[in-house]
Amino acid sequence: MASSESIRSGAAGPTSTSTDTDEVDLVAVQTYWQLVRRRFLRNRTAVIGLVLLAFLVFSAIVFPMVGGDAWYRTSLVHHPTDPVSIDAPLGYDNLGRNIFFRLTKGLQTSLIIGFFAVLIITLIGTTFGSISGYAGGLVDNVMMRVVDIVLSLPGFFLILMLVAFIGGIVPPMMVIIIAIGITGWTTAARLVRAEFLRLRESDFVQAAKALGASDSRIIIRHMVPSAMAPVLVAATLGIADAVVTEAALSFLGYGIRDPDASLGNMLTAAQDYFYRQPLWIYYPGITLILVVLAASFVGDGLRDALDPRQKLEA
Amino acid sequence: MTETRAPNTLTPSSPAVAPGVAGAVAPDTLLRVDNLVKHFEIRGGLLGMSRVGAVKAVDGVSFSVRRGEALGLVGESGCGKTTLGKVILRLLPATSGRVEMDGQVLFDIPARGEPRRRPVYASNEAMKKVRQNMQVVFQDPYASLNPRMSVGELVGEGPLVHGMTDKKEREALVRDMLGRVGLNQSHIHRYPHEFSGGQRQRIGIARALALHPAFIVCDEPVSALDVSIQSQVLNLLNDLQAELGLTYLFIAHNLAVVEHISDRVGVMYLGKLVEMANVDDIYANPRHPYTVALLSAVPEPDPHRRKKRIILKGDIPSPANPPSGCRFHTRCWLREQLGRPERCTTEEPVLRALGSGQESACHFAEEISPEAVASAVASSGPTVTAEP
Repeated sequence: MASSESIRSGAAGPTSTSTDTDEVDLVAVQTYWQLVRRRFLRNRTAVIGLVLLAFLVFSAIVFPMVGGDAWYRTSLVHHPTDPVSIDAPLGYDNLGRNIFFRLTKGLQTSLIIGFFAVLIITLIGTTFGSISGYAGGLVDNVMMRVVDIVLSLPGFFLILMLVAFIGGIVPPMMVIIIAIGITGWTTAARLVRAEFLRLRESDFVQAAKALGASDSRIIIRHMVPSAMAPVLVAATLGIADAVVTEAALSFLGYGIRDPDASLGNMLTAAQDYFYRQPLWIYYPGITLILVVLAASFVGDGLRDALDPRQKLEA
Repeated sequence: MTETRAPNTLTPSSPAVAPGVAGAVAPDTLLRVDNLVKHFEIRGGLLGMSRVGAVKAVDGVSFSVRRGEALGLVGESGCGKTTLGKVILRLLPATSGRVEMDGQVLFDIPARGEPRRRPVYASNEAMKKVRQNMQVVFQDPYASLNPRMSVGELVGEGPLVHGMTDKKEREALVRDMLGRVGLNQSHIHRYPHEFSGGQRQRIGIARALALHPAFIVCDEPVSALDVSIQSQVLNLLNDLQAELGLTYLFIAHNLAVVEHISDRVGVMYLGKLVEMANVDDIYANPRHPYTVALLSAVPEPDPHRRKKRIILKGDIPSPANPPSGCRFHTRCWLREQLGRPERCTTEEPVLRALGSGQESACHFAEEISPEAVASAVASSGPTVTAEP
C-alpha cells in the first residue's frame, strides 16, 4: 500500500501548519490514578473521612489485640461506679467488663461485617450487572426483572427470614454477612449495568471496536475501569449501610449476641441502664455515627475524585 | 401495530442496478454501498418482545467512493448521516444492504421483499483486516478518547491489537503520528483531559492514521470545535489526504465545511440520498428542492448583503413514520409552485442521473430554475438580512 509506505518513510515533519493556539502545557506527567489521588487529597472533607476511617480501623485491629480477653472477661472486683483509669478509660459495665475493649471489639465485629458484606454485594452486583449490560436485549430485560423482584421484597424482613433459616447452621457473624450480601446487591447490579449500557455506546468504545480490538480487550481495558468508579463509591457508602443494618439486627436480638460484642448489641445492652449510666449508650452510638460519617465522606470524596471529566484547577 | 408498508420501495429487485452506481463498478472504487437500510426497531410489550415500529434512520442508500476522493455527506440533524457512517464501519448492524470495501464484502443482507438468501458477513479475521484499512474520526473529541489512557496508549492501541507488540517500535510509530498531526511528541505520556478540543481531535486523527488506513470516515470531525480551530483541523485533514492519498467519507451538517474538503457531495434527507453531485455542480446548480433550500440557508459572511433564503415550512417529519411518496413533499417549495402534483405523494422518486454527473431524487428536477428559486424566495416571506 503506497500510503502506508509514505507514512513509514516520511520524516516526522509537521504536516499541518501550526498547533492549536490554546495549548495547555502542564509540566508534570501524571497517570490517571495519580490525578485521582491528587483530587481526593485536595478535598478536605474526604481527607477528614479517610483519617477518621483509618483511625477506626486501626482501633478495631490494635486494641482488641492489646486487650486480650478483657472485652468479655467478667469481674466481681470492677464495678460501674469505679473511677475511670488508664486501664479502663471508659470504665466497666454491669458485669465488670472493660467497656473500652468491649467497644473496640464491637467495632471490629461491625467493620468486618461491613467489609465482607460489601465484598459479597460488589461481587454479585458487578457480575450480574455487567452480564446484563453487555448482553443487552432479552437477557438484560429478564435479569433486570429479577432485580426488580428482589427489590420489591422488603429487605429487612428478608434478612430476618434468612437469619431464622440459616441462623443455627453458621456462626452469627457469617449469617449477617450472608444475609446483607445476598439482599443488597441489587443497587450495585443496576449501577454496573447502567454503566455498561452507556459505555457500550460511547464513542471511545466504538473507536476501539473500529480499531479491531477484541471483545475481551474492550471489556477489560475500556469498560471495566470506567464502570468501576461508581461501584467503588457505592461500596464505600455500602459499608456504612451494612454497619447500620448489623446494628439494627443485633439491637432486635437477631444478630450478634452476648457475650460477643458488636456496636448493635452494646446499644441493646445499654438501654437497660439508660437512667443510671446514660453514657453507655453514647459510646457505641457515637462510634456508629463516626463509622457511617467516615465512610460517607470517603465515598463522596471518591466520587468527585474519580470523575474524569473534572479538571484539576492548577 | 406493526408497520405494514414495505419500508423499502427503492430498487427492491436487485442491488446490482442500484442508483448512484452507474453500471459496473469502476476499477478505482474503494467503497461501495448498495441499498443500505438501517431501521432501529421500537419494541414494546412484555419484556420488549413485540415490535411496535421502526425508526428508519437509513432507508435504502447507495453510493460509491472512489479511491483518493473525499465524499461529503450533508443533511439536517437526524437525517441518518452518522448512522450511515456507523453501519458502513459495522459499528452498528445493518438491517439490509451490502457494503464492499476494497474488494472485501463486509456484509450482504437481503432486503425485505427480495428473494430469500443467506445473509453474508465478513468473517472476524477478514473484518479485522478491513478495520486496519478503514478508520473513523468521531465528532466529539471529549467522548472519543478513553480518559484513562495516555496519548501513547490511545494512538498505539490500533497497532497493538494488530500485532505490533514491540513497545519501542510502537512508541516510534506513535511519535511519528503525533508529529504528523501537529502535536508535540513530548505529549505522548499525557492524558486526554490535559488537551484542548482541537488537540484532542488531532489525537483522534493520529489514532486513526496509526493503522495506515486507506479510508477514513470523518463523522462531523469539526462541528464540536471552536470556529478558529475548525479550519486548522480541516486543513490538517486536507494536507493528510494529499500526502497519504487518503479517501474520506466526510459527514457534516455545515455546508461550508463540506465545500472546503469534498470532491463530491451527497445530500441526505430523512434517511435517503436526495442529491449527489460534484462539489462545484451542487453548489452552483443544485438539482433538488431540498438542496436549494439548504444552500440558501448558508450564512452570508458579508453583513451588508441581503440574504435570500427559502424558509422551509414545518419540522423534519419523524423517521419512524416518513411521508409517503417523496419524503420531502410535505415541505417542498417546488411542489407548491407546480400546483401540488399527485406524483409527489404517491411515487417514491429514485436517484437518477441528470447528465453532467449530477444525480437527483426529484420527479421534477428539471423544473428547478433561477426564476423558480427567486419566486420561492419571494413567497418565503420578508427577506432577512444575514446576521453579521
